[in-house]
Amino acid sequence: MSVGMHLVVSGFSLGSFYALVALGFALIFGVTHAFNLAHGELIILSGYLAYFLWRGLEVHPLATLPLTVALMPVFALALAQLLKLVREPFPMNSLVVTFGVALVVEQALLSAFSADYRLIQPAAPALMQVPALGLALTETQVTLLVLSLLATGIVHLWLTRTFSGKALRATIQNREAARLVGINLGRMRTSAFAVGGLLIGLAGPLYGQTLYLYPAGGLEATLIAVTLTIFAGVGRIPTLLLGGWLLGLAESWAALALGANWRELVSALLLVLLLILRPEGLKIRTEG
Amino acid sequence: MRQGGRHGWLLGLAAVLLLAGAGSGKAAVQELALGEINPLTGALAKHGLEIHQGIALAVEEVNARGGLAGRRVKLLSRDDQSRPEIALNQAQDLITRERVVGLVGGYVDTLVGPISEMAAKHQVPYVASASLQAALTRKRHNPYFFRISNLEGILSPVCRLVGEVLRPQQVALIYMATPGSLEFAEGVEERLTRQGIRIPVKEKFRPGAPDFSMALLKVRMTGCEVLISGGFYPDNLLLTRQLREQRLQLQALLAPWGAAYPSFIAELGELSEGVLGTCAWTPGVTWPGTEKDSQAFITAFEARFQQSPTTTAMHGYASARVLLTALERALARSPAPTGEQVVKELRTLDLTLPLGRVRFDAHGDPLDYHHVVVQIQGGRLVPVYPPERAQARVMVPLPAGRK
Repeated sequence: MSVGMHLVVSGFSLGSFYALVALGFALIFGVTHAFNLAHGELIILSGYLAYFLWRGLEVHPLATLPLTVALMPVFALALAQLLKLVREPFPMNSLVVTFGVALVVEQALLSAFSADYRLIQPAAPALMQVPALGLALTETQVTLLVLSLLATGIVHLWLTRTFSGKALRATIQNREAARLVGINLGRMRTSAFAVGGLLIGLAGPLYGQTLYLYPAGGLEATLIAVTLTIFAGVGRIPTLLLGGWLLGLAESWAALALGANWRELVSALLLVLLLILRPEGLKIRTEG
Repeated sequence: MRQGGRHGWLLGLAAVLLLAGAGSGKAAVQELALGEINPLTGALAKHGLEIHQGIALAVEEVNARGGLAGRRVKLLSRDDQSRPEIALNQAQDLITRERVVGLVGGYVDTLVGPISEMAAKHQVPYVASASLQAALTRKRHNPYFFRISNLEGILSPVCRLVGEVLRPQQVALIYMATPGSLEFAEGVEERLTRQGIRIPVKEKFRPGAPDFSMALLKVRMTGCEVLISGGFYPDNLLLTRQLREQRLQLQALLAPWGAAYPSFIAELGELSEGVLGTCAWTPGVTWPGTEKDSQAFITAFEARFQQSPTTTAMHGYASARVLLTALERALARSPAPTGEQVVKELRTLDLTLPLGRVRFDAHGDPLDYHHVVVQIQGGRLVPVYPPERAQARVMVPLPAGRK
C-alpha cells in the first residue's frame, strides 16, 4: 500500500472514531443545551459492559453492540431525569451537575473494575486486502469506517425523513419556534437523550477496541466529543463525520510529515482557524 | 453562687480539654505518622494503587512486629489524582498539618518533583518509589530527596542488549513528552549512535495518544529492525496491538515500561508474544540471594490483597522498607529524630531487598538499581538479559501476526 493510501486510511479511520465518540454528545447538546461532561464516562461504562461480555462470556466484540446499544439509553434517560431538576441558567448548571455525575461514575468504575487498563481484542485481528485499490485495512479500521457511516447515515435519515426527526431538528434550530408550532420540547428532550444513549452504546465497545478502557478514560472521550462538536457545528450530523475525517486526516498528515508531536498542534490550529472563519462555533444554528 | 457555678463549669471544661490534650499527646508519642502520596485515581491510578499496596504491606509488617522502637506507624495515604498541583497540596497538608516524619511513594517525575520540593522546603525526608528524571537529583541540591530507581538502571541493559545481542543497523525510537521518557530517548540515542547504530525514526508522542499508525509507517519505510518504545503501560498496549494489526515485521519490540506485567500478557494475549520489557523485580525474577525474601513478599502480598504483586508494587514496598529502616535507626539514637537525622541514616543505609541492594549516592540516587530484560515467551515473563540472570535466549524475530 502506498504512503498516500496509508495516510488516507489512517486519517479516515481515526476521524470515524472521533465522529462515533462525538455523535451522542452533539445530538444531546443540540436539543437540550445540556453540556454533558459525563458523556465520556458513559462511553467508558458502555465499553466495560462490552469488555466483560467479551471476556466473561466470549461474545464477539461486535456482537456486544446490541446489548450496549439497548442498555445505554437507560443510563442516558436517568441522566435526563436528573437534569430535569436543574434550574436556570441551565447550560451552566448542567455543566456542573454532569461534572459531578462524571466523578461519581468514574469512582464507581474504579471500585467495580479496578484501575487496570482493558483492551477489547478480537481473537485474530485480520488484515483485509483490496488489491484493486492497493488497500490494506485492519479489522478495527473497517469496523470504524462502516459503523460511523451507518450511524451517521441512520441518524441523518431519521432527522430528515421522519416526523419525529424533523421535530427534533426543528428544536435544534429554534426551540421557541418549535414550541410555538406545537412541538413537545419535553418529548424532544427525552428522544435526544434516548438516541444519544443509543449512540453512546455504539461508541463504547468501539472505544475499547480502538483505544483502551480505564476508569479515568472518560475525560479523553469527552474532550474528543466537545472538540468535534465545536469543529463541526451543533446539530449537523453529516458535518460531524466530515469534521471527524478532516481532523483525522490533518492529524495523520501532521504525524507523517512533521512528526507525531505536531499532531495536536495542527488540529488545534485547524480548530482555531475554523472558529475564526465560521464564527458561529458552538452557537446553535437558528436559520430555518 | 451563680458565679461559683460558672467557675466550676469552666474548670471542668479546662480539665476535659487538658485530659484530651494529654490523651492526644500520648497518642502522638506512641504513633509515628508516615505520609504517602500516590496517584490513586486518574490516568495513573493503576500504578499508583500498586505502589500503595506495596507501601501498606511494608507498614503492616513493621506494625506486626511491634512498630519502630515500640511505636506504631500510622500510614496517612493521600491521592494526588495524577495531578501535580494536587500532589503539592497533599504534601503540604501532610507535612504542616499531620506533621509526618517522612514521605514515601510517588509515580512519574511530574508528580514526584513537586513533592520533593515541598519535602526539601520543610526538611522532611522523602523516598520516591518511581522516579527517573536526572534533574530532580543532579541539577538541584535536595538533601531530603531519595529514590530507589534511576534511569541508568534501565538504559544500561536496554542499550547493551541492543548492541550486544540484537545488533541491528537501524533502530526506531518512540517516546513520550514526559521528563523521564525524554531523558530515556536522549540516553538511548546517544549510546546506540556511539555503537554505530542509526536511529532514522525518532517520534515523540503525548501519553495517551490514540494512534501510532503513522509512526509505524515510518518504521516500515525506513526498514528499522528494532523498535524501542519509551511509552507507558497503556501506550505500549496500544502500540503493540497496532503494530501487530499492521503486520509490521521487526526483529524486536522493546518496551521497558509496560511489557513486564502479567496484565499486559492477559490483555494482549498472543499478540504480546515476543515483546521485550524490563523490570527490577517480578515474581520469578529477583535479586540473586533474595529468593526466600521474594517468596515471602509474594505470599504476604497475595494473602493481603488476593492478587499477585507487580514490579511497581515491589517498588512501593522497597521504598517504604528503606524509609522505615532509616527511621528505626534514627529512633535508636533519638526518641524524636529530626528530618536531618533520618536523612543521615538514609545516606549510610545498605539494605539488600528482592529489588536489589539499596545504597544511595550523595545525590540521593540508588547506586545499585539494575533492570533485567524480560521477554514474553509462551505467555510468561522470561529473563533474557543480562546473561548472568538470563533463563532463556532472546527470541527473534518478533513473531508475525496472523493472516
